[in-house]
Amino acid sequence: MKDTILSVTDLCVDFHLRGKTLHALRGVSLDVAEGESLAIVGESGSGKSVLNKNFIGLLDANGEITGGSIRYYGMGDKLRSTPEGGMDEEGRAYVELTRIPSRNKDWLRIRGSEICMIPQDPMTSLNPLKRIGAQISEALLLHHGMKGQMAYDETIRILEDVQIDHPQERYRQYPHELSGGQRQRIVIAIAIACQPKILICDEPTTALDVTVQAQVLSLLHQLKDKYRLTILFITHDLGVVANIADRVAVMYAGDIVEVGTSEEIFFDPRHPYTWALLSSLPQLGERGEELFTIRGTPPSLFTEITGDAFAMRNPQALMIDHRERPPYFSISPTHRARTWLLDPRAPKMERPGVLDRIKELGGKTDESKS
Amino acid sequence: MNPNPKKEVLLQVRDLHVHFGSRRHPFEAVRGVSFDVYRGETFGIVGESGSGKTTIGRTIIRVNPAYSGSIQFHGQEITGRISRQLDREIIEKIQMIFQDPMASLNERAKIAYIVSEGLQGRGLKKEEIDARVSKALQDVGLLPEFASRFPHEFSGGQRQRIGIARALVMNPEFIIADEPISALDVSIRAQVLNLMSQLQKERGLTYLFISHDLSVMRYICDRIAVIHRGKFVEMAPTEALYRHPLHPYTRALLSAIPQPNPLVERNKVLEVYDPQAHHPEQNRAWCDIGDGHYLLGTREEILQAGQTVHGT
Repeated sequence: MKDTILSVTDLCVDFHLRGKTLHALRGVSLDVAEGESLAIVGESGSGKSVLNKNFIGLLDANGEITGGSIRYYGMGDKLRSTPEGGMDEEGRAYVELTRIPSRNKDWLRIRGSEICMIPQDPMTSLNPLKRIGAQISEALLLHHGMKGQMAYDETIRILEDVQIDHPQERYRQYPHELSGGQRQRIVIAIAIACQPKILICDEPTTALDVTVQAQVLSLLHQLKDKYRLTILFITHDLGVVANIADRVAVMYAGDIVEVGTSEEIFFDPRHPYTWALLSSLPQLGERGEELFTIRGTPPSLFTEITGDAFAMRNPQALMIDHRERPPYFSISPTHRARTWLLDPRAPKMERPGVLDRIKELGGKTDESKS
Repeated sequence: MNPNPKKEVLLQVRDLHVHFGSRRHPFEAVRGVSFDVYRGETFGIVGESGSGKTTIGRTIIRVNPAYSGSIQFHGQEITGRISRQLDREIIEKIQMIFQDPMASLNERAKIAYIVSEGLQGRGLKKEEIDARVSKALQDVGLLPEFASRFPHEFSGGQRQRIGIARALVMNPEFIIADEPISALDVSIRAQVLNLMSQLQKERGLTYLFISHDLSVMRYICDRIAVIHRGKFVEMAPTEALYRHPLHPYTRALLSAIPQPNPLVERNKVLEVYDPQAHHPEQNRAWCDIGDGHYLLGTREEILQAGQTVHGT
């Protein structure tokens, strides 16, 4: 396995809302290897965006990290002398991101130039009053000190990289003159201009059409190779996950319930929630049959959750699921899941038969094309 | 005209044009669209944003005026100037479900009012309206008590159910569903889709399902029309469309669907549709190539398409 670039251990985040406390993250642990693309899947409210906001120090003002650590290894010795810097057991220098206060200047050296985020909606994330070119060269000025002709040339090069046609003309245009797909490419261009090591994509394609979405995904593939990016991809679309991800982490109620390579998650899922999520895909349904649905709603995170968070919605939950929180069980070196079903004492539970259809998916359309 | 005489045509659209903007510089959103919707089926319109798919739906419920062409419901013309009585009848029979359940419910009105709004001013007694509202709420799997609450108290899936209840309370025959599930979470999508097909079975509803997501369409639709820049380019029964996508734009759309299978996705070849590379538009005709499969194409393309479908 490649070097770990980002290591999250037992991260807990609480939000204070009108005198109540919401436990948004309940002990999340995750390692991100350099150069991989990791997808974080979950329903809205599962905490996937909150988790990623911690990496760039943009947690909302009422949020608080109550425990755990986030170690970022990508900077080498650069921030060694600061109180956040440190050295782990293997002698690799890291930065402890949870210890940097939210308005500290050190964030400016991390946010953008080390870890960068592509926001969800390209329609609202560009400045409508500034030309495209100025918005990209602003990033070049702030992060690399480039000015004048040099910044212009670099901007044109980046625009070509994100496959914008006629970059010289686009440079002088305003965001409203571009389509949604092109705007998303501009947003990606701004992110790339900072030359980050980690690129966080927060549902970058949900606002786009299917055809444009496919193009943006293939662009991300190319950029990942060219700039040797590590990609963290937040989404709830499992089709997109299959396209982009080397590894998948499934989040539910502020916790990662299962993590594995995408083959392991799609072809050999182990957690009942992953089963349910995959079974409810309309792609697996046959016309005339009922689709599988997950009963109920996600648990309220205002209350303390005992046991397995998914137990309440799982018709086949075991007694222990309601009492005690399951630990991670390893299935392979890369695949682990938080479910009591993997305990040697647990009764044998077959996963839904519908999931076998995943292997046939897409295969059919291939035949029809030939 | 009717290729399948057994089925009753509920809605007939012929050569529909819808223009926006001034008369001198019109923007042609829909450019000559013709189709039939049979009673009890689910007819899907798929296309990218700006292709005119929503405009067709809005023209059918008379929100946008048609520029030319005809729309007949039960054999009665419903475009242009119509009698007040017919207008009322259409409001009752044709209802719409909207895309974004967060934006389509009045934030300041209680659920009881939102759902009953269509029934007001029809000379119904208050008790009867209340009874119909609680019946509609129960039909979509909500509790009648919810009538006294406000929209912000509900989750996205519940709100979409309220949107469906609002349509059902009128006892419609025909429901236009404009991207009803694209704003919902994956696990909630399945619930709403199931609800829609269950209601269709119970009440014999006819749906016009508008979406950009072909993967969902395959599950719910009986027939699908593909729209590109205001024109239908292909229309076929669902399985035929997936098995033999004939128009290059349909193929591009199909190849762009992300499949939840990492092995397939990794080796996927994207097809990109370039309208410029395609022959000029003027020689193209909307032709039936058999079995209800329609294609917009030149003479050669139609002949070739006929061989692909019927040959071998």
